[in-house]
This record gives sequence, structure tokens and C-alpha cells, in this order.
Amino acid sequence: MDKLPDGVADVVWIEGSPTLGKVTADIAAPMEGKPGKLWYFLFALALLGLLDLLAMATWLVANGIGVWGLNNSVGWAFDITNFVFWIGIGHAGTLISAILLLFRQKWRTSINRSAEGMTIFAVMCAGLFPLLHMGRPWDAFFIFPYVPNQHGPLWVNFRSPLVWDVFAISTYFTISLVFWFLGLVPDFATLRDRAIGKIKKVVFGILSLGWNGSHRTWHRYELVSLVLAGLATPLVLSVHSIVSMDFATSLLPGWHATIFPPYFVAGAIYSGFGMVLTLLILTRQSMNLQRYITIKHLDAMAKVLLLTGMIVSYAYATEFFSAWYGGDIYEKYHFINRATGPYAFGFYLMVLCNVLTPQLFWFKKLRQNVAVLFVASILVNIGMWFERFVIIVVSLHRAFLPASWGMFYPTPVDIGILVGSFGLFFTLFLLFIRYMPMIAIWEVKTVVADQQHTDAALAHAAHAGEGSSHGK
Amino acid sequence: MSDHRQGAKDKLVVLGTRRPTAYWKSTDELHNGVVDHGEFPGGLPPITVDYAPPAEGAVIPTGHDHDHDHGHDHDHGEHDHEHEHDEPGSDGPNRRDFLTLMGFSVGAASLAACRAPEIKAVPLPVAVEDMVAGVPNFYATTCGGCASSCTLLVKQRDGRPIKIEGNDASEIFGGGTCAAGQATVLGLYDNERLKGPQWKGKAAAWAEIDEQVTTSLRQITAKQGKIVLLTSSTNSPSLRALIARFLKEYPTARHVQYDAISASALRAASAQAFGKPLIPHYAFDKARVIVSLDADFLGTWISPVEFARAYAHGRRANGPEDAETLHVQFEPGMSVTGSNADQRVPTLPSQLGAVAAALLARIGKLAGQAVDPVTDPVDGKILDSVAAELWKHKGESLVVAGVNDTATQLVVHTINRLLGNIGKTVDLARPSMQRLGDDAEMAAVVDGINKGEIQALIMHGVNPGYDYADGANFAKALSKLALVVSTADRHDETNADVHALCPDHHFLESWGDAEPIAGYLSLQQPTIAPLYETRSFAESLLRWMDDTTTHYDYLREFWRTQVMPRQTGLTTFDAFWDHSLERGILDLGAPADAVTDGGAGDWKAALATIRDDAQKAGGDKFELALFESVGLRDGSDGNNPWLLEMPDPINKVSWGNVAMLAPQTAKKLGLSDGDIIALAAGGVTIEAPAFIQPGQHPRTVSLALGYGRSSVGKAGNGVGVNGFGMMHVARGGRRNWATDVTVTVTNRSEKLASSQTTFSLEGRPIVLETTREEWKEDKAKKEKGEPLLNLWNERLKGDKLWGMSIDLDACTGCSACVVACQAENNVPVVGKDQVQRQRIMHWMRIDRYYSGSEDNPQALHQPLMCQHCNHAPCETVCPVLATTTSSEGLNQQVYNRCIGTRYCANNCPYKVRRFNWYNYTTGNHAGYNMANPTGRLVLNPDVTVRTRGVMEKCSLCVQRIAAVKNAVVKRGEPMQDGEVKTACQQVCPTDAIRFGDQNDPQSGVAQRMNGERAYRVLDDLGTRPNVGYLKKVRHGQTT
Repeated sequence: MDKLPDGVADVVWIEGSPTLGKVTADIAAPMEGKPGKLWYFLFALALLGLLDLLAMATWLVANGIGVWGLNNSVGWAFDITNFVFWIGIGHAGTLISAILLLFRQKWRTSINRSAEGMTIFAVMCAGLFPLLHMGRPWDAFFIFPYVPNQHGPLWVNFRSPLVWDVFAISTYFTISLVFWFLGLVPDFATLRDRAIGKIKKVVFGILSLGWNGSHRTWHRYELVSLVLAGLATPLVLSVHSIVSMDFATSLLPGWHATIFPPYFVAGAIYSGFGMVLTLLILTRQSMNLQRYITIKHLDAMAKVLLLTGMIVSYAYATEFFSAWYGGDIYEKYHFINRATGPYAFGFYLMVLCNVLTPQLFWFKKLRQNVAVLFVASILVNIGMWFERFVIIVVSLHRAFLPASWGMFYPTPVDIGILVGSFGLFFTLFLLFIRYMPMIAIWEVKTVVADQQHTDAALAHAAHAGEGSSHGK
Repeated sequence: MSDHRQGAKDKLVVLGTRRPTAYWKSTDELHNGVVDHGEFPGGLPPITVDYAPPAEGAVIPTGHDHDHDHGHDHDHGEHDHEHEHDEPGSDGPNRRDFLTLMGFSVGAASLAACRAPEIKAVPLPVAVEDMVAGVPNFYATTCGGCASSCTLLVKQRDGRPIKIEGNDASEIFGGGTCAAGQATVLGLYDNERLKGPQWKGKAAAWAEIDEQVTTSLRQITAKQGKIVLLTSSTNSPSLRALIARFLKEYPTARHVQYDAISASALRAASAQAFGKPLIPHYAFDKARVIVSLDADFLGTWISPVEFARAYAHGRRANGPEDAETLHVQFEPGMSVTGSNADQRVPTLPSQLGAVAAALLARIGKLAGQAVDPVTDPVDGKILDSVAAELWKHKGESLVVAGVNDTATQLVVHTINRLLGNIGKTVDLARPSMQRLGDDAEMAAVVDGINKGEIQALIMHGVNPGYDYADGANFAKALSKLALVVSTADRHDETNADVHALCPDHHFLESWGDAEPIAGYLSLQQPTIAPLYETRSFAESLLRWMDDTTTHYDYLREFWRTQVMPRQTGLTTFDAFWDHSLERGILDLGAPADAVTDGGAGDWKAALATIRDDAQKAGGDKFELALFESVGLRDGSDGNNPWLLEMPDPINKVSWGNVAMLAPQTAKKLGLSDGDIIALAAGGVTIEAPAFIQPGQHPRTVSLALGYGRSSVGKAGNGVGVNGFGMMHVARGGRRNWATDVTVTVTNRSEKLASSQTTFSLEGRPIVLETTREEWKEDKAKKEKGEPLLNLWNERLKGDKLWGMSIDLDACTGCSACVVACQAENNVPVVGKDQVQRQRIMHWMRIDRYYSGSEDNPQALHQPLMCQHCNHAPCETVCPVLATTTSSEGLNQQVYNRCIGTRYCANNCPYKVRRFNWYNYTTGNHAGYNMANPTGRLVLNPDVTVRTRGVMEKCSLCVQRIAAVKNAVVKRGEPMQDGEVKTACQQVCPTDAIRFGDQNDPQSGVAQRMNGERAYRVLDDLGTRPNVGYLKKVRHGQTT
């Protein structure tokens, strides 16, 4: 593969150069046939989790926040940890679909659809927590700016980062949803055309918005995609920056840090790619899509993990440095406590998972080993959950006045809701891979087409002895 | 129904002249006339609707003619019937009428069901002149919480007492109270009090019981059987006179006074030294040097409110009264008093006598009196310097001892005598009557009961079944007696098998009087009609002498004949009575039979006894020190959730007592907080959770008394362990310590309900202190730091800028403010489980920190509540503007707007915000007073009861500010400084808290806030709080 002519794709992203028809058939197969046992098993598990979430959330709303382990010192723990965790997960989807689209990264085509789906579901999980963590969730609408009403001319506090969150997350969710749906339209059309049953035909017919595949349609479509990608791109940076401001604008040692926005964005992408890896490895195994989600895709994602993991590690170090260099006694104590206090295990787990684990990916062998990748991706997820736990709980439990120091111990409801949020996520995700094209058919086809061009070009080059440029 | 529709067609009816309508209640009544039903004796009067005949042809809407009808259910079928009979000309009510009426009837019926069964208890249906709805009245009375008998003003709203305040008019007690006194108002509304008298365990009528008791007493007297009237310290002059009459009526009776925690030895020593058993009246304000041998005079000892007030007055570090005092405390475990001492010396309880003896030897030497020296029980150098200081301040020093040992007390009297303190800081002319119990006599009573020599026992205000050694056997032995009467307000540990249960009123329901200091009288008046069918003890005694006088009449008569003649100002009794009742206080001056110091008392023999004792207690065995807890005291108000939840001022544990051990001892035994240990001494073993207490003497274990009640009520049963069983009588005094204690470590442990777990300041500048020397230098420098820059805009400034200043030098940590705040602001009690989870709701807490060595640290108390920041961190983060700062500097929490994100609490550097984790008023998660209708009567109607899911915190008693503002508007004169008092400020005996307008440079708070000692907590965060602190001033000389 050396000495490729310019502009020719240098990597084969889809294995075996399938025909375009085969691509469609392969990807549509899970929707048209019956899923395997593994899918049923996972779905049953996820449903159990969802039931657990419903039960725990009902118990929570019926009794009050007291069923969690929070107290006067620690006002947030699992709730906001889960919130930040899930929001972070979502970021990989947006990054892959928007930024990588703008950078014309071909390898994104196999994974963008499911990554976007993951974004939607993760944001849904995340959105649950601000609601559940409220003392009076039935009054949650107070948080939206609404016109003067019987409550008087009440307005929200635009100085509060929680209000920024509301805007940031609702925007993020809307854009992500639209982007995702838009990406699905050509594929829905394909499915509509393939559908045998009447109901399917009608449903996909509606969803495909009358797609006719004409040149003009494609032209407009590409344009809209680019515009949306342009809109979504700043969101990758802004949403988690704003989430980080929940902490950064406060005055608590451990929260009050200007480094937070980039640190959180890097962490979000890191955790998001971790989750994408986990999901794709599971999907390609359970849905027989190894050809489309290749080891090379996994390799590319591992590289992203390595990069973002390094940024996150740098941020960890910076935090300690500025605590030491700043000399503020509260800040200093916080970081000593982080590393030596009662929650030190969380800190070391976070270092192990987020600083040491990505170092594996310096080695190509490990980057291409599915088992290693899977374990590492799980570790990344654990590490990033604990990062948020450490930031939130360790900062709160020993703040300014030693007399108010306390401990947070999770209750079964805390754990139940965390587990339940995974139940919700996986239920949605498994339904998605079962009923929707989880790989963008039309996008993969462009890559396949490219590859065929490349093959042809290579053959031509071999034959003629000199490269000829090939522009699309 | 068709009739109705017919009538409904005509919207209006024409009324002619009509007779009053007579309604009947039921068909039964219609046919058989009025019947006597239980709930409404005599039946409901027939309700009539009386209309003046309107002008002919006048037209009124139909709906109105039944508006006056209420109080009983309607059946519309009956309605028709009636109208057919009475008003043939008028139409029946239409459907709308029916629904209106039914709604009203159901509402009225439910309202009727809410009413207390006793008609008298209905709060004034007709307004009286001095009662305006929503405006509180204050009644002067005397606290019945303990025998200290502090004078009170009770705040009454709409006919129910809701808050206890001290009576400012009192020169002795001032406006402050203690925590236990604050909580008495909740005791009134305890729904587990007895609802009426009982005879042999069954409810009976008073008349029936009186007959039984009187007959029985007469029979016993006729047979020359002994009768004992066992009461707690009774300093009420009228009751004492009545008891004297009772003893005359029943010549075989005797009156014995018994205190669970007594000053019996002090009285006995006074009998030897001064010829009369008395407790001198101590003047802590006049003493420049105070030496206390385990007397917790700021927390519990004899008259803590008075003593704390005087102590703070004497030590006031600011202003012209600035005076240097030295306070040295010898004690086994850290008490509230010890935590305030300049020098605290951990001492074995058995060696406290020896400390007194060693001091006497040194002072004797200085005074030129030959005293045999004793072996120094503590560092001799400390004793040397203490003795030297005492001697330097002859006549203005004071030595007190809380040790219930006659020899020790006699030695202390002798020291005070040698120092020339008698008549100066130790007043014999007007002795204290606040503890009158006699341990020896009580021991004799117990003996008499066991031997069967006593036939009848009347118990009032005592509970020996709980608080006497081997109490269970005491209660059992009562069955031998021919008659046992108890006036307890509940089934307690003693009265399970008594014959007559004659529950006394709560003191807030009762008439009475008190004489805490000889010649210093105060009255007690009811602030509410008795909630239950109880009767005052005095009235019971009158009945048992076949006297039908009411307590009120008796009291008036007593004051007319016995008290009025001793005063001169007022000539008519009514004027005198009204004046005394309104003020609540009457100072008659020293009594005629005042004692003077005759220089008696065989202190040499006492020294010898102490020497023997001290030697006996040698070795390396543990000693147990039992002490009166600041909240629960002797445990008599043991079902009071406010007191149970109040964290101990020193160890900060609530809902239980702990066995406190020195850090080195705990290390040796391998114990950590909450590990259960067994303490055994004298054949008695108790188990309690261990607690590592800095400053504890390494060979001692301290345990609070007042806990471990088994029969007091739902809140108090089984909370903590009962230490009274470890007390024993020696040389006529009940000893609150035990030697030869074995400590056994069990392998069990429990989680303590601690409100504070970190006791170190971690080097943070949160509580600032200085020494007198340093402070004087600082004062000369007058150096003030530059104000910090800030990024925020200045907010709108109002007319006032409220502020609060807390003097850390005056705060003793007594925690009265914590309970006062709870009472004022409807702060819920959350129970042990929630406190263990660190969810205590107190708006005001007292943080306590230690500095110095773990073995004998210095303590600091810091009351902390919302700091009302001008640039409040909570305010910026709330997404819904539920917390804002007013133009007058108050940080306000808007409960209705709060959605409970808890972001404000997270961002509050002072951690003063409290979240309602559950709904604490339903009883599902904390079934205390707010969960039952009786307990809710204590709620302050001016303060919202918070629902679950909202944040709350100190409001600086905004309702009190509003009340004064209203009053000011009404009278048209400007507000005076100090007119608004927050609950915490009002209750503080030491005036540690000042509240007022910072904009007025002359106001007390502004002067303090701008003073040299002023600082603000975490000021460098730029929060700019409106609550400030004054540095603690330490005595520079301490070693």
C-alpha cells in the first residue's frame, strides 16, 4: 500500500470491498431478520435495569431526596456525577458526526450513526438527573423562563450556571436529534424501498420524508448536513464547558478552577469514545458487522482515547500544580485530601483508568486487540465516572469549615438509580440497533465506492507504472 | 327531586312574613324531642333562622335563606318535608342551594371534629380586650424546668404559649434562659402526658381519688403509720407553707426533698460551717479569680443562667468594665465551664477533695494558719500559682466545688473564709434555695420503705425509680406500702404500681410561686387552660386536707397574708397582686433571719477524711465521673425531642450519651468512637458507646446523666444509657463518681449521632483568638486591613442594614440559642437516624474546635448560622431566584420558589443551609412533635413550616423584624437600637449576640462590628457577610 497517489484513500475502511447491494443487505439484515440470542439476553438485562430505574425513581419521588445518601455537607453526589457522566458520553457522538464530517474523516462513516444514537440516549439519561435530583421535581418548570403568569413576574436567574445548563443541554439535544434524524432520512428511504410489510412501508415512508434520491435532493441534503455539522461543532465544546461551569463558577476548593472547561471537554470526548468503543465492540460481535466496523476503526478510536486521555492527565497534573503554586490553604488541603483522604480510592481508580490505561494505546498491537480494547473501554468509563465523583463528592465533603465536614455513603437507591440509568440507555440502544440502520448505509457506500476507485487506481498504477491523480 | 326542579325554574322567590324556622337534627328528634347525646350535653339547641320581615314584595335570591344554617348534616329530603310544613308559600331550595349547604355542613362538621373535647379548651370564641389575633401577649412566670426557678416571659399567641423568654426585669436571671428552659414549652404539648388522674391504673374521677387518698391517709395516721411526702427541691413559699399545714394535718407525715442531682453535701457543709444548711449565693461577677472543682456553673450547676450571666459580665473584655479575670477549672472530663476556663486541669474525681485540701494548705500558709499539707494530686506548680492568684485577689476571688462530698465542701468554705470571700463573693445573707434535696434523708426513706416502716408515700416531681441507685427495686418496694401517690405527668419508671396517679399541671398551665434566692420571689401564672384533666399539686394537697379552696385562691391568700406585709410600696392587695403578677418578680430584700459566718466547722477533720479518701482511691484503676447533661439535665424532661436532638455542647453527640475517654486511653484500649464498652463498679455494669474526648483525664471515663429512660415516651425511651445506677451514697452524699471501675471492651459498636465530627481547625483562620496582652497592643496599633476588591456591583441599599455580631469571648457554648432558634423558627426534629446521616436541621449550630495538645486542649465555641452575605454565593447559583438578598442585607429564602437543587448549599462556604430531605411533618421519617396535632400547637404561626424538597436557613428572625416594624409604624416613632432581638440573641445569658442596624453608627452592632476585635469568617472569599464575630480573648498567663 505504499507510495499511494495523492488524494487516494490510503486505508481500506470496509473489508472485502462488498458491492453496494451487499452493503445494504448486510446492514438491513438485523432489522429484517430475527436478532441473535445475545441481543435477547442483553435486552432482557437492559429491561431489568430500566424497571429498576422506574422503581427507584418512583420511590425517590414518593419519599424525598432523603432516600439518597446525601447530607448537609454533600448536597450532590451520585445524581450530578451521573449527569455529568452521561452528558460526557454524548460528546463522542457529536464529535464524530460533526467535527469529523467537517474534517472529512472517512473512517467516521461506519460508526457515526450509532455514535449519534448513543449521544441521544446518553443525553436522555443525563437529562433525567437534573429532574430527579430536585427536591420538588413537580416544580421543575420553574427553571424555564416563562412569561409572566399567575406566579407573578418571575424570571429565572441568568447568573446561575444551572440555567445555562438548561439552555445548553436542550439545544444540544435538539441539534443532536435533528442531525441524527437527518442522517437517517436516505437510509429510511432505502428501507422503505426494501420493505415488504405494509406497515413498515408506511412508517419508513413517513420517516423518509418523501426522499427520492435525485441529484438535487442529494445536493441539498449535503448542504444541510454541512450546516448542521457547523452548528453542532461549537456544541461539542460549549455543552461540556457549560456543564463544567456548574463547578467552576462556584467558590468551592476543587471546583473553583479556570481550567475546567477544556478539561471537561477533553474528559467528555475521552469518556464518549470509551463508550463508543464498548458499544461498537458489542455490536459488531452481536450483529456480525465486523466487515463494516473494522479493527481499523477501533484503532482510530484508540488513538483518540490516547490523545484525550493525555489531555485529561495533563489537567489532573495542572490542578495539583496550581493548588500547590497558588498557596490557598483550602485548595491545598483539598488536593491533599483528594489523594490521601477517605475517598482516595476514587482518586487512584481515576488515575489508573484515565492516566495509565490510555498509555496502552501507544502500541499498535494493543490498539488492534479487541479484547484489550474492550477491557480498556470499560476502564475508561469507570475512570471517568469516578473522576466526576471525585470532583463532586471530595470537594463537598471537606470544604471550608472543618466543623461541617462529613462523609457521603451511597444508599441502595443511589446505586439503583445509577444502574437503572444504564438500563435505560441500553434498552434504547438495543432497540435502536434492532429497528434502525445502525450504520449509515449511504455513507458507507460512499466509502466503498471510494475504495473501489482506489482499487482501480492501484491496479491502474501498477499497470501503468505511474500514478494518476484521481479527484472525486 | 321534581319539586326541586320546579323550584329551580324560578330564580327568585318572594318572601312574605314568616315565622322563625325550627330545624330538627334527626327524625328521631323530630318525633321524640331533644335527646341528650354525649358529645353535646343537653343536645344541640334548636337552630332558628330569624328574619326581620322584609318590606312587602321584597325580592331576595333563594340562596341566602339558609346561610345561617350550620352545625349539622342536611338531608335534602328532610328539607322538602320541612318546607312543605312551614313555608307553604315559599319554594324549596334548588340544587345549588343544596350543594352550598352540603359543602358548608361538611366543612362545619369537620371543623367541629377538630375541636378539643373539652369545651373550656376552645380558644376564646369571644375576643377579650388584650387578645388580638396575630398579636402575641407576654406573661411573666417562673420556669418549672428545674429548681433554679428562672423568671420568664412566656410568649402567647392566640391563646397558646409558643416561646419561652427570660424576664428582662430580673436583675438576677436577666433575659436569658438555658436550653432546657427553652424546651419546656414543648414539654407542655407532649401528647404522651397523662390525660387525667388514675386510681390503681384505671382512669378515675378526681373526687373519687381524693376520697380514697384522704381516707387512706386518715387511716394510716390513726394507726400512727408513717407518711412521707417526697418532693423535689421545693422553693415555692406558698407550697412550703401548704406542706407545713399538711404535716400538721397528718402528724405522722414528714417532708423529704430529693434531687436526682443534689447539692446535699454543700448544704451539709454549710450547716457545719455557718450553722444552717444552705447554699450560699455566689457572685461570679465580683470574682476576679474563680477556681471551680468540677462545678459546671455555666452549664448545669445550681443556677447556670444566672451564673453564666454574672460570669460573662465579670469577664467582659470590651468597654469600661474591662477587667481581667482568671478562671481555673479542675475536673475529670471537659464540661461547658471547663471549656471556657483559662486554665483547665484534668483531675481524677476522687482527687478533687485533695485539690481543695492542697489549696487550703497553701492558702493557710499564706494566711499564717497551720494546715497539714497533703500530697499534691495534680502538678504542684499549678496549685502554687492558683493559690497565689487567689491570695492576691483576697475578697474578690471565689472557690466553688460541685463535688457532692461534705468534707470537700467544708474545705472549700474554709478556703473562701480564709480568702475573705464570705460576704463578698459568697453571700450568706440571701442564700440560694435552688437545691434543697437531702441525700441522707432520702437514703433514710429508701431504708424505711425497704424495712416496711413507711406506710404511705406521696411523690411529687421525683422519679427515684429512674434516678436512684437500684431504682427498679425502689419501684418494686413501693408495692409494700398502703398508699402510694404520684403526681408525675406520665407513666414513669417509678409509678407503674402506685395507687393514685394525680398528674400535676405543666408549669405553664399552673399557678404558683418560687423563691430561688432568699427574699427574691417570683410568681407563676397559667398561660393556657390545662390541656388535660390535670390538677396542680397544691390543689391536690388542699383536697387531701378536705379543703375545697382552689390553688389560685390559696396562692392569693398566701400572698395577701404572708408576702404583702413584707413589702411597703403598695397598699391595696389587688394593686400589689397585679403589680407582682405583671412584673413576675418581687424583691423583698434579705430575710430577717440571715446567717452570718461564725467561723465554725471542723475543717481539720474534713482534711483528714479527704486524705484517707484520696489514698484509698490510689492505684491505676479507672474512675467514672457522672455529670448532669446540659440538655436533658437530670432526665426529667426526657421525652423532649428538642433536647434529645440538641448536640452536647462538648462532644456534639445528640440522641444518646457516650462514655468519654482520653485519646491516649482509647488508643491503649484500641477503641474508636462508637465502640461499646462495659463499665463495671460496685456490682453494677452499664454499657455505653465510647467517645474519644480530648482533655479527658486519662484514668477517667465520663458519662452524662439524664439519658437511658425506659418509660418516658416514644421519643425518649431507650435513648442512651442510665448512669444513675452507678451513683452511691457515701458519708451522707450521693456521689456522682465511682472509683475502681473496670472497663471492658466489647466487640460491638454503634454509629453516633454526631453533628460535628472534625474538631480541629486544620490551621484555618475561622475562629480567631488573641490574648489580653496581644489585644492591648493591637488596640494601640488600630490597624485595619484594606477592604478586598470585588467584581460585583453594589446592591441597592435600604434604610437599614441588618447585622449581627457574635462575641466569641462571651459565648460559653451552652446551646440555649440552638433550642431557642428551633422553637422560634419551627425547625423540625429529625431523629437519631437522620442526625447520624448528618441531616440535622438546626439553623443555628455551635461549632466547637480544640487547639493545643490533645491531652488538655483549649476549646472554642463558635455559633454559626447564615452569615447573610452581601455578596452571597448561594444567591448567584440558584437557578430560580429562590434566594435573594434584600436591600436591608437579609439573605432571604423563598420556600415557595425553591425547587431544591441544593446548589446553594453546596456553594455556601459556611454550610449553614438545611435541606428538607423528607417531609418532617408527616411522621413517616421523623415522628416527633410536628407530626402530631398536640405537638404542632407549639409552632410559631409567624413562620412557615417547610415542606420537603426545599432549602431553609436562618432568616435573622425576619418575622421579629417585621413585628417591630409594624409596631414602629403604629406608634410613629423611630425604631430604637436593640428593639429587634433575634431569638438567639434574646436567649443568650451572656449577651454574646447582638443584632441591629449597621447603618446606624451608634448601634450596638455597628460599634461591635467596627471594633478592634471584629472579624468576619472567611472574609477573603469576598462574601462580605452581615454577621460578624469578635475574637476570643485568652488569658495570657496560662501554662
